[in-house]
Amino acid sequence: MKAGAQGSRVAAAKGVAFTKSPVLAVRLPDWRSRVVLFALFAAFVALAGRALWLQGVSNRFLQKQGASRYERTLELPATRGKIFDRNGLVLASSLPVKAVWAIPEDVLKSPPEKLHKLARLLDMPYPDLMKKLDSDRTFVYLKRQVEMDVIAQIEKLDIDGLDTRKEYKRYYPQGEVMAHMVGFTNVEDIGQEGIELAQQKNLVGQVGSRRVIKDRLGRIVEDVGMSREPHDGRDITLSVDSKLQYIAYTSVKNAVEKFHAKAGAAVVLDVHTGEVLALSNWPTYNPNDRSHLTGEQLRNRVITDTFEPGSTLKPFTVALALNKGVIKPNTLIDTGTHPYSTGGHLIRDTHPHGVIDVSTIIQKSSNIGTTKISEMLSAQEMWEMFTKVGFGQAPRYGFPGAVAGRVRPYKTWPIVAKANMSFGQGISMSLLQLAHAWLIFARDGDIIPLSFQKINEKPVGQQIISPKTAAEIRTMVESVVSPAGTAPQAQVAGYRVGGKTGTAQKVVNGRYSQTHYVGSFAGIAPMSNPRFVIAVMIDDPEGAIHTGGGVAAPTFAALAANALRAENVPPDSTVTDIIIPEHPLEESF
Amino acid sequence: MTGKLNVVLTALLVCCALSVVNARYQARHLFIDLERLQQQQRQLEIDWAQLQLDQSTLGKAERIEQIAREQLNMAPLTPARTQYLTEGGQ
Repeated sequence: MKAGAQGSRVAAAKGVAFTKSPVLAVRLPDWRSRVVLFALFAAFVALAGRALWLQGVSNRFLQKQGASRYERTLELPATRGKIFDRNGLVLASSLPVKAVWAIPEDVLKSPPEKLHKLARLLDMPYPDLMKKLDSDRTFVYLKRQVEMDVIAQIEKLDIDGLDTRKEYKRYYPQGEVMAHMVGFTNVEDIGQEGIELAQQKNLVGQVGSRRVIKDRLGRIVEDVGMSREPHDGRDITLSVDSKLQYIAYTSVKNAVEKFHAKAGAAVVLDVHTGEVLALSNWPTYNPNDRSHLTGEQLRNRVITDTFEPGSTLKPFTVALALNKGVIKPNTLIDTGTHPYSTGGHLIRDTHPHGVIDVSTIIQKSSNIGTTKISEMLSAQEMWEMFTKVGFGQAPRYGFPGAVAGRVRPYKTWPIVAKANMSFGQGISMSLLQLAHAWLIFARDGDIIPLSFQKINEKPVGQQIISPKTAAEIRTMVESVVSPAGTAPQAQVAGYRVGGKTGTAQKVVNGRYSQTHYVGSFAGIAPMSNPRFVIAVMIDDPEGAIHTGGGVAAPTFAALAANALRAENVPPDSTVTDIIIPEHPLEESF
Repeated sequence: MTGKLNVVLTALLVCCALSVVNARYQARHLFIDLERLQQQQRQLEIDWAQLQLDQSTLGKAERIEQIAREQLNMAPLTPARTQYLTEGGQ
């Protein structure tokens, strides 16, 4: 400052002018400046190299980091396919709902009145909600499959740490009527029962994804890179007819209640196409609310339960003998007046029938009669007949849990086996198998595959018996449903129907029970131009009436009458008054 | 000569640049429209599914029977009180 004050314009320190500073007078060696120059140059080269490296060679990492700041991957949900009945009515459909999840720590900071409101909206008691939130985890589902209008209200509460996740809920508008046919899915949208399980592969959709650029407002601006299209699951049209299904359902339900039975089942098949038009079980369940589901309700007795059909099987032995030509409908057979002994066993009839023809054997359901007919046949022939119509064969219906039933190989048959099987003992099958086999009588002796899905082309049948034999059997089974037969209660006003009753003793602890029965009926309607094969099974009726003619035949009649009317089948009989004898003939078992 | 060419090319370049900006702007708008319409389509599909469900729920045979019996006092038809009209008067 002193120097400045003296007016000198020369920079000076300690009285020495800068330019004359002795320090500057020292001549430094040249290499030092070169080293500095080189160091600076090298630093620039390093920078350039690094820049080149980041820009050109190893740029993937940075681009990825950049992209993650403006690109988003969106998941494109796929809807599970719908299930329709044959007339296009929806039986199962998925709608978007949301799952509510929470970060417990954050949610618990909200005021309690908000949490009370939340509990009410979620339809769960407040303590339960608190119990769910009392967790160390950072992710807790509070409730899944919450409907959208509730979600909107929950979002209005604006609780911190509460979030939602998109998912689908499956709805079953027909409820318990269709339960065993359609089945249901779990919360993860995976089929658990029925068609939902059988067709899981087709019904399930394929989730897609796309990468997009979003702008500041969250709008999608551009697609980038690859996107995978979502594929919705395939819709499936079933063969079932909602109207017939409801008729079958109410018939079975009423029968189980009326006869105090443990369970009941019915199935209706289309004679021309082999489609399953109705399949009903009681007890049943509501697929929309499965909180109190029991195994009994879940059981699809038509398909998964086997039973010994009893006399409903008699027409098969008779058809075989007719087809072979060893008997004719009017061949007389002596059924005697006493139990008939064969292979060390006694075969009984409930009433002595004496000498009767083959038609009457079916009409009166004579065990001795069919036993004598079975003696004209070989074990192999009978076994082949049963196998060809599907008994004991693994079914290919494409329905989960379908059982094969049991027909022992003919070489191991004891002597009495032919007799037993001629009236349906010692052989087991599901109700669906029985109905399926009855198609050979309703059709002209051929059998066609069953279908649970609607089909447009008529299937090709495999001839089992001649059309003439089938017609003869039809005439015989029509006589069963007359006041003189074993099933007068199966009569339907205005229509000609036919069928065969069956009463089988249940096997309890390996022995035939004297108190527990399965009453069954398999029939054809209408006789003039068969349209339906209907099979009904009433399991363990506990009232005074327990025979197939007593419990299953009236159920068949109710079902057939309504089904024929519902399908606008023109009446083929002028009989409108049904005569049911006071003491109808009981069948033998 | 070169100067004139430069001016023309510069003008052309500016025009191209502006048209790129414009095209880009329009593309984004159209894209947003497309998005909105796709969203609408999804919503309509959901509505359709909902309506199908409603149809099935309301058309349940059980419900129809109940209403027919209780509110409309209807009874099931029996062949005994049915007159069938056939062609040719048979």
